[in-house]
Amino acid sequence: MKKRKKINGVRVGIGAAAICSFLCLWAFATREGTTLGILMPGPVEVFTHLVETTYTKVGPLTIWGHMFNSLRRVLVGFTIASCCGILLGLAMGWNRTLEAIFRPIFELLRPIPPLAWISLAIVWFGLGEGGKYFIIFVSGFSNVTINVYTGAKSVDPELIGAAKMLGCSERRIFPSIVIRSSVPYIFTGLQIAISSSWAAVVAAEMVRSTNGIGWMITAGQSVGNMEQIMVGIIVIGVIGFLLSTFMRGVESKLCAWSRVQDS
Amino acid sequence: MGNKNEYKVQVRNLTKKFGDLLVLDDISFDVKENEFLCIVGPTGCGKTTFLNSLSKLYDITAGEILINGEPVDLKKHNIAYIFQEYSNFPWLTIRENVEFGLRIKKMPEAEIKERVDYFLDMVGLKKFQDYYPDQLSASMLQRAAIARAFAVKPEVLLMDEPYGQLDIELRFKLEDELIRLWREVGTTVIFITHNIEEAVYLSERILVLTNKPTKIKAEISNTMAHPRDIAAPEFVELRNQVTDLIKWW
Repeated sequence: MKKRKKINGVRVGIGAAAICSFLCLWAFATREGTTLGILMPGPVEVFTHLVETTYTKVGPLTIWGHMFNSLRRVLVGFTIASCCGILLGLAMGWNRTLEAIFRPIFELLRPIPPLAWISLAIVWFGLGEGGKYFIIFVSGFSNVTINVYTGAKSVDPELIGAAKMLGCSERRIFPSIVIRSSVPYIFTGLQIAISSSWAAVVAAEMVRSTNGIGWMITAGQSVGNMEQIMVGIIVIGVIGFLLSTFMRGVESKLCAWSRVQDS
Repeated sequence: MGNKNEYKVQVRNLTKKFGDLLVLDDISFDVKENEFLCIVGPTGCGKTTFLNSLSKLYDITAGEILINGEPVDLKKHNIAYIFQEYSNFPWLTIRENVEFGLRIKKMPEAEIKERVDYFLDMVGLKKFQDYYPDQLSASMLQRAAIARAFAVKPEVLLMDEPYGQLDIELRFKLEDELIRLWREVGTTVIFITHNIEEAVYLSERILVLTNKPTKIKAEISNTMAHPRDIAAPEFVELRNQVTDLIKWW
């Protein structure tokens, strides 16, 4: 245990040192007098601007408001995508008839990148929130579905046999065995989906929006405010990282047994 | 249920085909109450198909299998199956694995606790009850599977080469453990193996199967007292007898 803590400490130390080195390199490359320095602000300017945006408004809102709006969009789109993806994945993985019906359609729609839906989303849902939810839904849905489907398909038949022998009825096999053993796959799908949903919200906001982190970047671009663009980009990175860390935390709580397997 | 029938398990004209491939060819035999029956046969002779048909995991093509004189019904008859692979549920702790069958059968909480404690203790896994299967070794996993099977106090226990993947020392240990459990719980055991020595060591009777399409080649009674000595002349003689029967070359 102590050894593990020590290893974790070393790992965090190395990570921090790497980030510091990167920031130093960035500061050095964009120092006064360099070409890159004209094109791009240094880390100190970006950080100062970031702090400023927490109390002064960028457009209609402070950065907190923009973050809230982007996160709200992700949450709505991701939740709908997750529910539909888990249901369809389990249904296709467990029931052959449903697999035969839905798999071909799903396989046809799956390779279409979410951004390709933007025009249709605008036509169908207009320029309001509906279209953004739809883009986020599309980007999360296929990731969840394909992972859950794989999970439900790869349930060890011996486990089903063992459960049957212990008196488990056909109806109970599904919740007791199929869903339980698919949980790690469900979480893999959710992890990928949350990252891709976050990427999609930014793209959706860049197309047409009046707030959100994506809007901040496009607005910065139109007025040539490099600091604002950089703040937007960094906030996207940090929130994306926090979201996937959060998902990993939930996973390790709910699938302690599968974490055992991984370590 | 009583003992109206002389036999616990009756297999009548059991036939199993996969498409055109005949695997089990009109097999009939009986197993007495509390008997320890071993089934041996050459590799690939359809031993697992045989057990899967017996346990209703496969639908049989023809024939019938009776327990206490009635067709097998997993809801009614208390059958347990120990597979070749370790079939513990990886998302449950060892304790929860052993509890699984008892919870399905909706036993009272107090009885579940008592039984699980007893069987975990018996297979020496009490200390590891809160571990997940992936944290344990092969022999521990198979012991957990054995505890789970015995915990439901099965009328019939089916075992499909349960020790096939263990090293010889662990196998000996678990074989002795199995004999002890079988005697204490009093259950009818059908044990499939390709290991002739194991069959002679454990069984009260041995069925020797032929190559596919599988039939029963011979039936040998084994009355040696437990614990058996694998170096004793009568043990060696019986082992050779079974070996000669199993030779298909």
